[in-house]
Formats: sequence, C-alpha cells, structure tokens
Amino acid sequence: MGKLGAQSILFAVIVQILVISAAANIKNLRIWPMPLSVSYGHRTLQLSNDFVLKTEGSKYTDASGILKEGFSRLLDVVKVSHVVDANFSYVGPSPVLKAIQVVVLSPSDELQYGVDESYNLTIPAHGNPAYAHLTAKTVYGALHGLQTFSQVCHFNFTTRTIEVHQVPWTIVDRPRFSYRGLLIDTSRHYLPLPVILKVIDSMAYAKLNVLHWHIVDTQSFPLEIPSYPKLWNGAYSSSERYTVADAAEIVRYARRRGINVLAELDIPGHAQSWGNGYPSLWPSKDCQQPLDISNDFTFKVIDGILSDFSKIFKYRFVHLGGDEVDTSCWTLTPRIRKWLKQNKLNGTTAYEYFVLRAQKIALSHGYEIINWEETFNNFGNKLSPKTIVHNWLGGGVAQQVTAAGLRCIVSNQDKWYLDHIDTTWQDFYSNEPLTNITNPKQQRLVIGGEVCMWGEHIDGSNIETTIWPRAAAAAERLWTAYDNLAKNPSQVTRRLAHFRCLLNQRGVASGPLTGGGRAAPEDPGSCYQQ
Amino acid sequence: MSSNSQFLLKTLFLLFIFPLVNARSIKSTLHKTTELDESLTYLWPLPSQFTFGNDTLTVDPNLSIVFTGNVGGSVIVKEAFERYKKIIFKHGSKSGDFFDVTQLTVIVHSDNDELQLGVDESYSLLVTKSNEHSIIGEVSIEANSIYGALRGLETMSQLCIFDYGVKTVQIHKAPWFIQDKPRFAYRGLLLDTSRHYLPIEIIKQIIESMSYTKLNVLHWHIIDEESFPLEVPSYPNLWKGSYTKWERYTVEDAYEIVDFAKMRGINVMAEVDVPGHAESWGAGYPDLWPSPSCKEPLDVSKNYTFDVIAGILADMRKIFPFEFFHLGGDEVNTTCWTTTPHIKQWLQDHNMTSKDAYEYFVLRAQEIAISHNWTPVNWEETFNTFPSKLNPQTVVHNWLRGGVCQEAVAKGFRCIYSNQGFWYLDHLDVPWDKVYYTEPLEGIKSISEQKLLLGGEACMWGETADASDVQQTIWPRAAAVAERLWSDKEATSSTNTTSAALQRLEYFRCLLTRRGVPAAPVTNFYARRPPLGPGSCYEQ
Repeated sequence: MGKLGAQSILFAVIVQILVISAAANIKNLRIWPMPLSVSYGHRTLQLSNDFVLKTEGSKYTDASGILKEGFSRLLDVVKVSHVVDANFSYVGPSPVLKAIQVVVLSPSDELQYGVDESYNLTIPAHGNPAYAHLTAKTVYGALHGLQTFSQVCHFNFTTRTIEVHQVPWTIVDRPRFSYRGLLIDTSRHYLPLPVILKVIDSMAYAKLNVLHWHIVDTQSFPLEIPSYPKLWNGAYSSSERYTVADAAEIVRYARRRGINVLAELDIPGHAQSWGNGYPSLWPSKDCQQPLDISNDFTFKVIDGILSDFSKIFKYRFVHLGGDEVDTSCWTLTPRIRKWLKQNKLNGTTAYEYFVLRAQKIALSHGYEIINWEETFNNFGNKLSPKTIVHNWLGGGVAQQVTAAGLRCIVSNQDKWYLDHIDTTWQDFYSNEPLTNITNPKQQRLVIGGEVCMWGEHIDGSNIETTIWPRAAAAAERLWTAYDNLAKNPSQVTRRLAHFRCLLNQRGVASGPLTGGGRAAPEDPGSCYQQ
Repeated sequence: MSSNSQFLLKTLFLLFIFPLVNARSIKSTLHKTTELDESLTYLWPLPSQFTFGNDTLTVDPNLSIVFTGNVGGSVIVKEAFERYKKIIFKHGSKSGDFFDVTQLTVIVHSDNDELQLGVDESYSLLVTKSNEHSIIGEVSIEANSIYGALRGLETMSQLCIFDYGVKTVQIHKAPWFIQDKPRFAYRGLLLDTSRHYLPIEIIKQIIESMSYTKLNVLHWHIIDEESFPLEVPSYPNLWKGSYTKWERYTVEDAYEIVDFAKMRGINVMAEVDVPGHAESWGAGYPDLWPSPSCKEPLDVSKNYTFDVIAGILADMRKIFPFEFFHLGGDEVNTTCWTTTPHIKQWLQDHNMTSKDAYEYFVLRAQEIAISHNWTPVNWEETFNTFPSKLNPQTVVHNWLRGGVCQEAVAKGFRCIYSNQGFWYLDHLDVPWDKVYYTEPLEGIKSISEQKLLLGGEACMWGETADASDVQQTIWPRAAAVAERLWSDKEATSSTNTTSAALQRLEYFRCLLTRRGVPAAPVTNFYARRPPLGPGSCYEQ
C-alpha cells in the first residue's frame, strides 16, 4: 500500500466519518462476495451514455488489451438486463459519472499463483463530471474492481438509464485466500468448448480464480496429446475431443479474466481410458487400471503428457491426482506381481513409488505438484515438500497437512462437492477452511479451497444450474475477510438471492436457493424469493 | 410452393436425383468409442428433398459470402452469416491451406423483409466441389425470401463438421443437393414470463436456439395471474403487478425481443390471457378485480375493464407486428362474477348467465383486437363453449385433448395444435417419441380442412421453469415438435424410423450442447433430468 499513501490517509478519514463496517450494514449491500471494507452513502449517480475507461497514471500499458476487454465486458453486463436509452439526454438532479479512472501499478500482466488481486474503488457523490477511481497493483485486481463496480450499477426503469446507487462508495478489497477454485470434469461427460467458456465467465462474476480442469479419467481421454497422438482415441467419440488449440483457447480465455487453469492428470488410479490408444499401459486387457507400474513406457507417456502440458498450462501447479488407487490389478497380473517381488514392493509401497516418480517428472517440467489427500494419508512424509495436498475425503485433513508443514487446498466432500446435490448453499457457505487451525503459520499453509463439479451426472445441459448458486456461497467464504462473513448464513440469504438473479440476468442458469443443487423452482414466484 | 422454374438450383436438382437413403439403425462400437451410423442424415429437421454423394470437402475458415439476385445483401442475411461462421469455425482451423469451399453464394429473389405467417421459407442448397464445368460452384443457397435463406444457412451449418484429425471444417457426403420447405407455416414455442420472470438474455438464448430447429413463432405468454411484467404506457400502474420492480420488461425490451427474433426469422405472438388469467392486473388497478377478496376473472360489468384491454392492445400493436394476437380465454371460473353483488346485479340487468358473460367478454375482447387489425387467437374453451359466436377469423388454439382441431377446421376455423398430452413441455413424463409421433392432422381428411390447420406449438409453461431450467426442459423435446412441423410426414412417421429418429435426435441434442444450448439427454424417463451416468453425449 506504500504507493497509495495520500489516498490511504484520505480513505482512513472517510472511513472514520462514516463509520461503516461491512458487517453492520450488510443488509443494504448487494455486492457478492462481500468486500474487505465498504463505505457507502445514499446518493445516486447517472452513468454517462459514453462512460469511458481512462488509464492515465497506470504503469500498466495494457498492450494485450486485458483491461480494455474487461471494461467492455463491464459495459455489456450492466446493460444486459434491459435496453438502455442511448439517446436519453439526462437533465436531473444526479451528477453524471463520466469515466472510471483505472490506475494499475504493476506493468506486468503475468497471472500466477499469489498474484496481487487487491483493489481500491471509490465512486464520488459529486463532481461535474464525476469520475470513479479504481486503483490496483495488477490488472487482475483491477478486473475484480470492475466486477464490483458492475454490481453497484442498476437499471432505472423511469429514465431507462444505468445508475450507480448508494454513492459515495469507498471500497477496499482483497481476497482472503489466493486459491479459489472450481473443478470441472470433462471425462465423465464431454463439455463442449462454449459451455466451458461460459462457466469461466460466471466464475469471474464470483471472483473465483482457478479452474481446476479434471481432463482425463477412467471413462474418457478427450485431450489431444501431440507426443502420444493415440491417447485421445480414448475419447467417447471422434468429436468429443479438445485439440491443443482448444485447450490453449480455454487457458487464454480464463487468463484474460484473471483465472488460472489447473490441469489434472489423475494417476495411476483414474486412467483406464489411456489404454484405448496404448493398450500396453493397462496391466492386462481384463484388468485395465491402475496404469502398469512395471512398464517404463508408462512413465515415458506421463513425461510426454506433462511436457505437452507445460506448453499449454502455464500455472505453477499441475494436479497429479493419486486418489482411489485400487492396486489389485497390480497384484493379480502375473507380470506385475513378479516385478513387485523383484523390487520388494507391495501394493501400498508400489503406489507410493508411482506417485513419487510421477512427482519427479512434474518437477522436472517446472511444475509444483498438487495431489489428492490419499497420497498424504499414506506416505505424507515422503511427498515432495513442494506438494500441495488436496483434501476431499472429510474435514480435519487440512489441520494434519499443515501440521506436517505442507500446503493444503480444502474441498471436503461433505460440504464442497457440487455433485452432492443434497448439500445446501448454507452448507457451502459455512464450510470454514481454517477450522481448528489456530497457529498463524499453519493457517498460511491453507492456500484456499475449491468446489468440485464431478461429472458423472453433469453435462452441457445442467452444469450451470448445479454449480450456481452454491459455488457462489463458497466463493464468498474464500474471498471475504473472516470477520465480514455471516456467522449465520440466513443473514446473507437476500444478498445471495440477489446475486443468483444477477447471474440469471447475465444469462447464467443459476438455480434457486431453495433446495439443494439444480432443484427446479417448486412454484411460481419471484427470483428474489426462491 | 408455386412453381419457380426460373430457379437455377431447382433445375439442377432434376439432374441429380439420387435415391433417398434407407435408415439403418446399427450403432457400431470399436473399443468403446461411439461411432455414428453413417447411413443416417444428421440434419434436423429433415429436409423435404435431398441427395448426396461420397465426397469430403474442406471449408475455408475465411469463408466469404457473395450475394447475387435481386437482393444486394440484406442485413438480416449478412448478420446470420456472421453468426453461423462463429458456430462453424469455433474450434479454429488451419488457414493458408487449400480449401474446396471458400465462398457461399446467396441468391434471394425478394428484398421484402416483412415477416408474416406464411412467408416463403423454402430454399435450395447446393454443395459441390467447384470446377470449371459447374455453373454454380461450391456452396449456394437460393431462396425466394431472406427468411428462406436463413433456413438454408442453418441447414448448411449442420453440414459443416469440424474434423479433429485434420483440424479443418469439412462437409461430408458432398455433393449435396437439398430442396426444402416447411410442412406447416406455424411452428411455435410458448414461453411463460408470468409464473417466472425470464431475463432478456435468457429469452434471447431461447430465440437463438429456436432458429436451430427452424421454429418460427415465439408465443409470448407475457402475463398471467401471478405477475404482470410488461410496461403498458397507457396504464402505467399495470406493471405494479410484477413480482419485483426488477422483474419487468420495458417497452424497449419488448421491441428488442421482437427485433432479435425477426433477425432470426421468428415472429413474436403476444398473449393477453383474458378474462380468467389476469389477477395480477389488479395490483395496479384494483377496480379490475370483482372485489378485493375475489380477484379473478376481470370484472365483466365495468366498461373500464375493456378500456384497459383496449389500452393494452393499442400499446402492444406498436410493438408486435405479427398478424396474430392471442387473447387467451381458457380456464375461466366465473364464480367471482356470480358471488360479487355488483356483478351479480349487472348479470341480472343484462339477462346473462355466467356462461353468457364469458362469451360476451371474449367476443368484446376479440372486437378490440380486430379493430387493431389483429387476427385473434383463443384457447379452445372459447370454441368448445360458443363456437358459432366466435369471429370466423378466430384461430382456435387446442390444448385440452386430441380431436379439437378436427372439430374446429370442420367448422371452418383455423387451428393450432398443442394437445397437452404430448406438446406441453411442462409435462415432464412425456417421452421424446410420444412428442415426436404426434400428428397434428390426425383425423383431418379433406385437403381444404387440412389447410386450416396452421401448425402447432410446444408450450413451456413456467410454474417450475425459470432461468435455471427452462432450456433443458424445452430441449430436446421441442426439437421433436419442430421436425414434426417442418418435415414431410412420410419421411418421419412410420414407426420403423424410430431408431433412426432417436439417433438423429441424440445427435441434434449434442449439436445443441456444442452450441452452448443446455439441452437435456433424450431418453431420460423425465424431461430435464441429468444424465444417468457417465457416457458419450451421442448415446444419452
């Protein structure tokens, strides 16, 4: 905040005058997720018909157009709900908001884990004309600021114009956790490209910042791997596939919205589909999973895939899975049983051997590794210290992982698995990643959390309504400062309902709050009540 | 369609004449990879006449459009072309190579962009490798109207397949010669924005998806007893009946919807359902209720009621240019009329039973619509109750049961088929094949009576459908309706086509999801339910 000295002092004064804390005034706010600090007034500004972006004073040149595009999307979403009267010449009591002045302090547009996502947004009540000010360390913080800005804009049904309500605004905001993820699963069902891009758009509305792409699993292998071109023979059909260009487009599209893509290769236990193209990866024709541990070819293929990955997926982490490994195909297949014996391995130690060898390959490609929690539960002390343990089985794992000095992502299935459709949004909201972790050093090792949209019963027809609004509840848990979070979810019902209706207005098929996931509305009624 | 022997493409067609393919229903699987039965024609709805060959043509991602004929390039066709380019080339394509198809030629014979019932939607589509001998090379669409050209563009887009092996868009089985026209002029989908408000963006997504199935009427059931979302400038308190002040459509929003639909060759038929489904009107004007404790039907005894109707219709006439206007008239429970003293008195004074009053109300509303140069459409109860009194122009909208259109056309009325047992999309337990094999002309023998059956409509009533689930409830079953209404009866009716139709519909449902439309699995027992387990889209 050093660069912001003068502004910060001014800001501190304003805060003292208005004495606003988000918790106290939560009832009148419509922003989701709730910012770190908010003050607001009761006046209204008119958004100019030629509202523009100004960037004087930025060190960031926006050569790639990320900010410009973000601004243009802002205009689209604030105008999407109703036709705005473009010829309306406004003569009323409210001042006109002419521009948003965005100052980005860092010239870099690199999007990496831990990138500074903070922003300060002020919208004055006066001025002729008035200017909104958005300051951020990085362009990605600025994008979050634009999302917040879009949520204080409202259509006026009398003037047919966009107004900014509750000015003056002073918002200081930054995320509580730097990893706020959503998993999608394109192996159980292929998700067409436009569907994935639309999910990414909706993630940005909720300030989620990691798309965990569970690309491949037992059922299908949809991604093109140039090093081993027969792998996508494991796709469901000749058209249920992603080319390298498709994957690059997903990464590019996400990045321009401040979202990283975490690619997953779930080995060795969820990889049967690999063998359609290369049957020697199967222990045998009748016993096709886990990948054949005794065959060096298996690790060559993993190396080839990760080498290809590293050209597409620039996120610091790669997910190597490692969950639910049933080693009976290893112990039942004579060739592998013999190999185990020669190497003095049993099923459990072989599992460890596989995971660690795969970790080394990933490290050699410059990746840090994420593994599902079974790897930690079985041989936590052997894992590379760069490993991030991805919790899923139950609560309490983060506590143990961080006590062991490893980093952790929280996704306990009882609260944050979106395919559990009977889990309510209240459960999602209340799931606290730092439960029972009091030591600040340990707390810092919990890098965030993720909601998981497993695809067994999910395809292009129902993914949005199963994700939303429950993922939004988790998004606030991960973004919003702990003290600003509602202790009782019922305190935020109205605000979440409002966000759900906002998603609908933007064309996202978010389900009602009543019921669990993807429940149809039971009766006629207002979106804001359901 | 009248004879248009000047049609170059049509003349060419006579030179081709390949036999139509027989549907085979074998799904071969290698390993576990789903392979399509290549003997089927994956166009939905099936064109009325088509032939194809064995060539594979590659399509240039920089495909250009050239207009010849009377129309120098209508904006409607140009914008449609740009939309379809985005759909066809969404995976990116190698460029710089040689492509068989680099240009689309569009020939439209009339530049009249008026969109009304019965507008000529026929088109011819030729896809062939260009060579020095061909008169018209590559891809050509010829149509009488720009709306026919839109239908041709849709068909062309369905022929274009991205090949993941060579990473190029291809057209298989060329040369294609397709000559197509709709079986029925009215092919509708009802949306209900009273039970749940549907945001503009969602309505637009639905209109866009309708164009993929060549549906051409959006029946907008705007208002009902639950809410009144539309702005009516003449009676500005009416939209106080909206659920909230945010769940409203301005006049400009309504224009936008009509315009968006027209760009896709789709008419918007507005409905004001009187007198029985109108309780929400009274939120702004309580005088329209018989009494504060008995709020429906609208008060028949007051001229004011009809003034309001006249005001609404006058305002709507400016927005909705379609020649049909739906006046509802269904499910009228007249108890509030006979139990409210001042209305009971009025009935007595006018020597009317409640049934007479129902008739009086409907006919008076019809007169208002007709005075605005609208053709009234009414739900079938009006016809069932007082057929001889209905204005002869009336279009009867069937819903309660089968056989009604048969009776209506026998009496000289035009009819729209929406038998709830099959074509009510909110009936989640009607499987795709029941929807598909429903025949609107069932029992109607004479040609002149058949002509009075304008078409049909799938109805998406909104009690349990909002922005989150409306599209997966509409699709894929509305596509089954769309093929029934567009395609030739002979090609789509015999039950031995069931397996072929199922595979084609499964394919089309995947096409919808590939275009971002949330269309549900075809064979689930209940509509809009999730897929039962992991698997290929093409088998679910």
